[in-house]
Amino acid sequence: MLAGLAPLIVLACLLSGLVAAAWQTRRWLQGAPARVARLQGLIAMPGRYLVDVHQVVARRPRNARFHALAAGGLLASLALWCVLAVPPLRYRPLWGVLALVLALMLMGAISVWRRRQVDRPVELSGGGFDRLPLALLLYAGGFLVLALAELFTGPAATLFSSLGLIVGTFGLAGIISLAIGGPLKHAINGMLHLAFHPRPARFVGGKRDTGLVPLDLASARLGVERPVDFAWNRLLGFDACVQCGRCEQVCPAYAAEQPLNPKKFIQDLAMALAPGASDDAYAGHGHPGQALGSAHGGPGEPLIGAMISDATLWSCTTCRACVHECPMMIEHVDAMVDLRRFQTLELAALPGKAALVLEDLRLTDTLSGRGPGARLDWAVDLRIPLMREVMEAPVLLWLGEAAFDLRAQRTLRALVRLLRQAGVVFATLGPEELDCGDTARRLGDEATFQDLAGRNIATLSRYRFDRIVTADPHSLHVLKNEYPAFGGGYEVVHHTTFLAGLIERGVFGPLSPDGRKVTYHDPCYLGRYNGETAAPRALLDALGLERVEMERSGLRSQCCGGGGGATLTDIPGKRRIPDIRMAQATETGAAVIAVACPTCTVMLEGVTGKRPEVLDVAELLWQAVERGGIAAARSGMPA
Amino acid sequence: MTGLAIVVLLSLGRHPATGRPRRNPDDARALATALALAATRSGSRVLAVHAGDPRAPVLRDYLGQGLDELTVLDMPSGSDPLPSLREHLVALSPDLLLTGQRAENGEASGLLPYLLAEALGMTLVPGVVGLDLQGDQGRFTQALPRGRRRQIEARLPLAATIPAGTAGLPLPSFAAARRGRIVSLPALASPDPHLVAIERQPWRQLPRPQPRRLKGSAIDRLKSMTGGGEAKGRLLVDPDPETAAAQILDRLGEIGLIRASHQSVTSRDTDGRTER
Amino acid sequence: MSRPRLDPRALRLARQVEGGGKRPRFALKADPPALHSRRRDPRLLRMRALVPGARRPRYDWKRDAASGAPSAVPAVDPVPANEPIRVESPAFWVLAVLDQSTGALDETDLQLLSVARRLAGDEGGVVALALADPVLATAGADRLAVWPASAVDPAAAEARAATVQALVESVKPRHVLCSDDPVAGGDIARRLAAKAGLRLVSAVNSLTADGRIGRRAGDETWLQPAPALMTIMPGSFAADEQALREARPLELPPIAFEAARLANIGLLPVDPESLPLDETDFIASAGNGVTDFAAFAEAAAALGATRAGSRVVCDAGLLPRDRQVGASGTVVTARCYLALGIAGAPQHLQGITGVRHVIAVNTDLHAEMIKRADLSIIADAQAVMPALARLARQRQEKP
Ligand SMILES: Cc1cc2nc3c(=O)[nH]c(=O)nc-3n(C[C@H](O)[C@H](O)[C@H](O)COP(=O)(O)OP(=O)(O)OC[C@H]3O[C@@H](n4cnc5c(N)ncnc54)[C@H](O)[C@@H]3O)c2cc1C
Ligand code: SF4
Ligand code: SF4
Repeated sequence: MLAGLAPLIVLACLLSGLVAAAWQTRRWLQGAPARVARLQGLIAMPGRYLVDVHQVVARRPRNARFHALAAGGLLASLALWCVLAVPPLRYRPLWGVLALVLALMLMGAISVWRRRQVDRPVELSGGGFDRLPLALLLYAGGFLVLALAELFTGPAATLFSSLGLIVGTFGLAGIISLAIGGPLKHAINGMLHLAFHPRPARFVGGKRDTGLVPLDLASARLGVERPVDFAWNRLLGFDACVQCGRCEQVCPAYAAEQPLNPKKFIQDLAMALAPGASDDAYAGHGHPGQALGSAHGGPGEPLIGAMISDATLWSCTTCRACVHECPMMIEHVDAMVDLRRFQTLELAALPGKAALVLEDLRLTDTLSGRGPGARLDWAVDLRIPLMREVMEAPVLLWLGEAAFDLRAQRTLRALVRLLRQAGVVFATLGPEELDCGDTARRLGDEATFQDLAGRNIATLSRYRFDRIVTADPHSLHVLKNEYPAFGGGYEVVHHTTFLAGLIERGVFGPLSPDGRKVTYHDPCYLGRYNGETAAPRALLDALGLERVEMERSGLRSQCCGGGGGATLTDIPGKRRIPDIRMAQATETGAAVIAVACPTCTVMLEGVTGKRPEVLDVAELLWQAVERGGIAAARSGMPA
Repeated sequence: MTGLAIVVLLSLGRHPATGRPRRNPDDARALATALALAATRSGSRVLAVHAGDPRAPVLRDYLGQGLDELTVLDMPSGSDPLPSLREHLVALSPDLLLTGQRAENGEASGLLPYLLAEALGMTLVPGVVGLDLQGDQGRFTQALPRGRRRQIEARLPLAATIPAGTAGLPLPSFAAARRGRIVSLPALASPDPHLVAIERQPWRQLPRPQPRRLKGSAIDRLKSMTGGGEAKGRLLVDPDPETAAAQILDRLGEIGLIRASHQSVTSRDTDGRTER
Repeated sequence: MSRPRLDPRALRLARQVEGGGKRPRFALKADPPALHSRRRDPRLLRMRALVPGARRPRYDWKRDAASGAPSAVPAVDPVPANEPIRVESPAFWVLAVLDQSTGALDETDLQLLSVARRLAGDEGGVVALALADPVLATAGADRLAVWPASAVDPAAAEARAATVQALVESVKPRHVLCSDDPVAGGDIARRLAAKAGLRLVSAVNSLTADGRIGRRAGDETWLQPAPALMTIMPGSFAADEQALREARPLELPPIAFEAARLANIGLLPVDPESLPLDETDFIASAGNGVTDFAAFAEAAAALGATRAGSRVVCDAGLLPRDRQVGASGTVVTARCYLALGIAGAPQHLQGITGVRHVIAVNTDLHAEMIKRADLSIIADAQAVMPALARLARQRQEKP
């Protein structure tokens, strides 16, 4: 007898929920205009959800299961209600199907409840989230009783049916209230964010889209000062955050107790979408060392200094660990850089040595302040050919800032010798090579970056080469992924990839096995930014090293603390990021920590005390080649 | 308090490693000081002046420090800026003239502020790292070598030369550099006759100077007596703490770093009041 | 180290006393501190020699002031007496305006006098305008003009400039030399140049064989005949050994000087601890090898050194961040760096490239810092620091 009423009540609730949700959109619609292929996005959305979001969520199978049950159950039940609302379609067996769906959802809801109440992970937020399991339980439980009762007749059935209706409606009302400004808004915002995502290329068949978006230096306001300066689809992303805390768990700055919690950072941005915002209601971990309740702001008010401290902004190493883990596909690093751009370009407010170094970079085209003329000073004896002399070469060796660092020069030396050994014909730009602009860009100095990029591209266009090889993943990333926007398009290969290719071709001949135990530290800009995790490992395996993995490795590796200009802004924490990473390496019992980036090398070598030796992959290979005997290597060389 | 007319002179610097034009760090500091001072006294104006080429891109960097307008007395490089500057400044009759302590290009004798102060009848205070104005009375903190600080009082109108100091310079803001205006005024260009008489050679690092010894001096005799070579590179393995400490103190004495009661002497005798 | 070392300047002074070139106001300490330096050290010289009328009552003056009598008892074997060189009417004069910015002759002043001497050659004579200091006779001065009372204060720049101007007008020197210090000699030179309409050539850093002077201008060296007025770049010239001269007092002409417009309020008290690291002259720096930070503070205080540390120490919060020396900390230019328990990582050494003297205390013979140091002590810093503090205080009390 309640068979007609129940679906209508549900639909009415749902409808009011939808109206409220539509009203909610004004939170993020106040953002700046963005060019979005809306229709395409909407069409692609289910695919993005099922493939890309699933890939992230599936890294934690338990969470994936309860989410599938609870969310899937809720969605399926709502669909069934729609069918049941049409009297001619109201077949009795449908109640059975509904009961089944709700039973599954109930299982999910129980998992949610267990996760919230029984074995609660520390990274979860409280507040509205803690009311979520109850709402889900009431909805699933109540309507399950109703649906089962609908399969029967008689006074008892009617009694259960109405009881179920009341309980279920309470649950539904709870769910809807939590969907408006509460935790469940992620369902709506998350879907829309997937559809209108600012980086749609992320979802295209295994591609990585990690390059920063160029800033129009002629625009009236450079970078983001206030929430409304973000594009609307960025705001939509922030508003979609479920406060799952996965980003918090992996953030190296957070681990070192620097004042940055990426979850809180995204929440700060989302909370600031309401006028008179404060972080009073936030019920998760804050930024380490900063008390909750002092942040304040609004959509049209400056973010840095009021809602977010500058120390928070400058703690980020741009390692993308948070982005890689975020099930809502939020782009934390883009937001960081947008905010930094305003601080740097408009206010010129940078902490630590960053201002000094950027000034030097502007005046000398090198971070070290020594000028490109000194880039080859370390290699006078190596007589590396210059592009401006040879005009063309199959391989252009990009040296990067490593050329100015005593430690990193050892790596470059090994690399040059290996290339010579393998008979690779290569040349460098030498004094014509300017800094690639990576650090400047990540510190928000887009003007200097674009200037350097433009001039480097002009230089490169004068020469003919097949590919650029570099030992610096930061240069690799910028040249490969960020220069195309300014007219440069090159095949850029990391030295580990290139050397692994040479080994595969047997160029180096038999390598004398090295029995040491080694662990490999993935540089963020090689792994997460460029997806290369296999080649360096293949290379190490070819050397006969006993390879062990750290707790975090590959795409989920932990940052060394050296990216994004973090060594220059130098925001203090309770610990240091490289110490944490080194502890993870030491735990494996490895004698050597193999690295593939000059910044990682410097950061990890700076760790004091007993620790594995830090050696670049190229250095390890050169050691093996030297040991294996140059003669042997020669005999293995193709004629 | 009435507003101040603060004139700042800005020149082109030169990056030590690459020789590229840059803000002169002293001038940039002077400008920062002027802007900060103007902000504390309502009605104050900062009048920034450069004598040279108005198209020099580096001038934008000064604007990037938050300067709205920069006046350029347009003249070819190598001309003597004094006549035009003097004329321009006399017309402005500033209360305060702030300049860097030293130019990084050309003659770089640091004389210009003195000549202008003389022409404008201003009292000049060199090496100013802090200034506090009460009415027309100024209290200046001067930086002396080795971190010492002296306080000087003087009345407006004043000229002060400002060293770059050791704290980092304010980074120019790209946006402010874009916003600021450069106003170019035609100026008299008189070539500097003095500079012609100079022979120019490429610079190279000079070896560390060695003192000339008198022949057969006591030093030589002493050396042979003590049989010592250079004391550099001395190594003591596992000495007892007293010996180690004595060695360190002796070396500090040689360097001239420890004297009796390090601190009190420093602040006393530089006061310069001797009992003689 | 128990054998008393002979100091050549002490020897020369002994000669001076015996030669009777000046009033016998010198006392040689019977037992000069056992230093093994053969370097020319003005402070040491002063310490050994200067007694009566000294502005620094620490040294030995009690004995002599109390006696009020010459007590020149040379402790060392007397070297044959040596008459000072006398110059009556030289072909020209060179005027050296000295800063004596610590109240006594220092390295910069001696360098300035050396340049003056070189410019004077055999024909010329050197007039020093200075605070009276007996050492001047051994530093190359033929004449000594003493600052008048109004210009004794180093901050009395206007009076000093007027004094120099008056002296220039009466002596008519061919060259006037000032230090390059922008708040001392350099200031005086510029005031003089502006007042007298002289061309100033600043930061002179070389002297060619043919008597021209050179200085750096960007990536060029500019050479020209020695001008009338110049400032001398500190550290570009060495303080030469000089034969004994007269330093005969020279009367100052009357000085035309209006009222001073600059009033010296005085020095701000300097606490070595509050000095920015890149301005301080003497740093005691702790690394991971230091565990006893109370002893470290005590030793630094006793030595009058500014405290600093390696990154490890600052990271651990044992010293504030602005006390960190190195690539990501402060690059220091102190004259002496006392490194206690610091390994000498490249990033750390980058911060002390400009330091002249490094003293290292480390338990590890192979530490990089040991290679960088000119005095290395392989010992436990925890043991050395208290001994250092104790001994430094002891020596202060009874020098
Ligand atoms: C990007 C980057 C920037 C850096 N910047 C800086 C910087 O600016 N400044 C800086 O200092 N570091 C910097 N570092 C860190 C640097 O690499 C070293 O880790 C650090 O300098 C080591 O400090 P330490 O010598 O005090 O410690 P350790 O390396 O632990 O050395 C301690 C030394 O003390 C000795 N020792 C131990 N016990 C005793 C004892 N009882 N008595 C005497 N000696 C003892 C040991 O033999 C050892 O030589 C940086 C690192 C990176 C990655
Ligand atoms: S930003 Fe992403 S990963 Fe971080 S809490 Fe929000 S949803 Fe989770
Ligand atoms: S990019 Fe790395 S450092 Fe920055 S917030 Fe994300 S996890 Fe933290």
